[in-house]
Amino acid sequence: MRSEKSAGSHVVCLVDDDPLVLNSLRHLLASDGIAARSFDKPETFLAHIEVHRVELVVLDIWMAGMSGLEVQAYLSSICCQTRAIIITGSEGPDDERNAMQAGAIGFFTKPFDDEQFLAAVRGALDHSSEPT
Amino acid sequence: MSERDGIGKGHHEKEEPFYAGQGRILEMIAASAPLADILTRIVLLMEAQTDGLRCSILLLSNDGKHVRHGAAPNLPEAYVKAVDGLPIGPRVGSCGTSMYLRKPVVATDVLTDPLWSDYRDLAKSCGLRACWSTPIISSHGDVLGSFAMYRQEPRGPNAEERQLTEAATHIASIAIERQQGHSTLREREARISLAAESADLAFWVLYPEQNTAWMSEKGRTMYGFTPHELLTRESFVSRIHPDERAAVQAAFEQARASQQTFEIEHRIVLPYGKTRWVITRGRYLWDEHGNVLEIICVTIDLSAQKQSDLQLQVQREELARLSRIALMGEMTASLGHELNQPLAAIANNAAAARRFFDRGQIDPAMLKQLLADITAASHRAGEVINGIRGMARNGKSTRSRLNLNPVIGDTLRLVGSDILIRETALVTDFDSRLPDVEAAPVQIQQVLLNLIMNALDAVEALPPAERRIIISTRSLKGKSAEVSVRDFGTGLPADRAEKVFDHFFSTKAEGMGMGLTIARSIVEAHAGTLGAEDAEGGGARFFFHLPAAQRLPISKAA
Repeated sequence: MRSEKSAGSHVVCLVDDDPLVLNSLRHLLASDGIAARSFDKPETFLAHIEVHRVELVVLDIWMAGMSGLEVQAYLSSICCQTRAIIITGSEGPDDERNAMQAGAIGFFTKPFDDEQFLAAVRGALDHSSEPT
Repeated sequence: MSERDGIGKGHHEKEEPFYAGQGRILEMIAASAPLADILTRIVLLMEAQTDGLRCSILLLSNDGKHVRHGAAPNLPEAYVKAVDGLPIGPRVGSCGTSMYLRKPVVATDVLTDPLWSDYRDLAKSCGLRACWSTPIISSHGDVLGSFAMYRQEPRGPNAEERQLTEAATHIASIAIERQQGHSTLREREARISLAAESADLAFWVLYPEQNTAWMSEKGRTMYGFTPHELLTRESFVSRIHPDERAAVQAAFEQARASQQTFEIEHRIVLPYGKTRWVITRGRYLWDEHGNVLEIICVTIDLSAQKQSDLQLQVQREELARLSRIALMGEMTASLGHELNQPLAAIANNAAAARRFFDRGQIDPAMLKQLLADITAASHRAGEVINGIRGMARNGKSTRSRLNLNPVIGDTLRLVGSDILIRETALVTDFDSRLPDVEAAPVQIQQVLLNLIMNALDAVEALPPAERRIIISTRSLKGKSAEVSVRDFGTGLPADRAEKVFDHFFSTKAEGMGMGLTIARSIVEAHAGTLGAEDAEGGGARFFFHLPAAQRLPISKAA
């Protein structure tokens, strides 16, 4: 059911400036039948979201140019409905609290458990598909 | 005198008159003829006065404890050799005993005389039966040697022989005293010895003509000689490490030829096998006729110094290592981040593969891709760990010829995440013509990390948009390579620019303040300099210069 909804629609976006991590996230989602679009620069993702509907974005915190938390803050500022899962390779003391307060639906420190991560992704997609 | 004169004429018609012989000897003394020639002439003159008389002159060695050959032209060579170097003492034949007791010793029959008990066979084999020895005393009352008469029949000296002895010892004392400046020598040695002991040096004087040496007590200990051992040139040569004997002898020869002080570092090997590193300095002293009087040497034991150098080295390396570890503690973000990234990729790809299997979706191309990505991520994790291990490793880091540009590149990869997380812009400007240097890569990385972490701290208080550091390299006329790390912080502490390199000076609450001190000592150990200045336009610039590596040996030889 989930795969029908997301297949080909790229409603899930992945943003991480480390290509190895980015590809692994795409593979992990694919193994659960979830198609995703990858971005290795936050700027190109922001350009994408101007014209596309995105249900869920997985954001890495530490990226050159702009941090995932800044991307998240920008999304809130434009009243975007896109849900965010924040991931990081290096967790700062307040990162998780800040991310969750800003409305993130998940926070994961790399490397993370695939089941928990995928559960969060599924939760976000199911939630967004619920009738309003 | 005329009586002796008569005796001489009576027995040796062909010989020159006794007084003429004495006169010639005094002339030789005045002309500073070699002592051995003078003493031989004295012996021959005395022997010429009486039939069947054999004479010898022995010298007291400069250490005052041994007999040395002086002159004995008509005694058997085996006997002369056996006597040379014997210690003086209360029962050492006639001569050793007379020097020891400072009075004449008459052995009418050496085969029965108790003083000769140790030397009876020697004397017998050489056909010697009677020996009368008289000490040669200087004008200051010091024993210089002894004059001995030997006969092949057991008897005591007659009046005539006593008179000859008196003449011989008198003239010999003048010759020896004049040649050696003996009385002042002793005093000088005593003074020098005192100075040498307190300075922890070995002092020794080699008298080439006599082939004896005097050596301070400390020196004897250093060289493993016993306090009363007779020292000769050969004693010293035997102690020099075989590998360095030729070099040491060449140094002596060079000093003699050039009339200059020599200095050579070498090992000495003690009798029980222990080896010491020493440095020996010395010079030749000449008389006005160009004869070598003595060779004065000072030997310094370097073993203690080398040992403490080594300890210092170990301590310095350990301190540097601790500092690197502390530095890595500061780089928490980088180390964790750099490892977590590839680990996450591995975990995700492996989980994906497992899920594809679970779902029965087995696409070989996809699996191949997952495995390839896992492999790549594993390699990256391995590189990160190697980098950390290199920094944490203990022990000597070896130097090699390298270019600093790629070393900086590696270092920036190591610390890249910290730069990123601290939201600081990094600008690099590398000079492609940077000369190679001789350096230990890990140590240079440590210096760079110190400067980079320092720069990151310096810009921390600025708003993110203004946090900038510039890392650049530059060739200084091809003679040295400069690396500089410039920040845009508040600059160096006013009036305390040099203080940043002091131990324990830290503007950071948690800093030990050792980082820059160690960085400077590393750079200086590479024959370079590390400096800091306020940069034009604000901020500080830390820089270090390392000398360009020597050209390759081939072009050097050309």
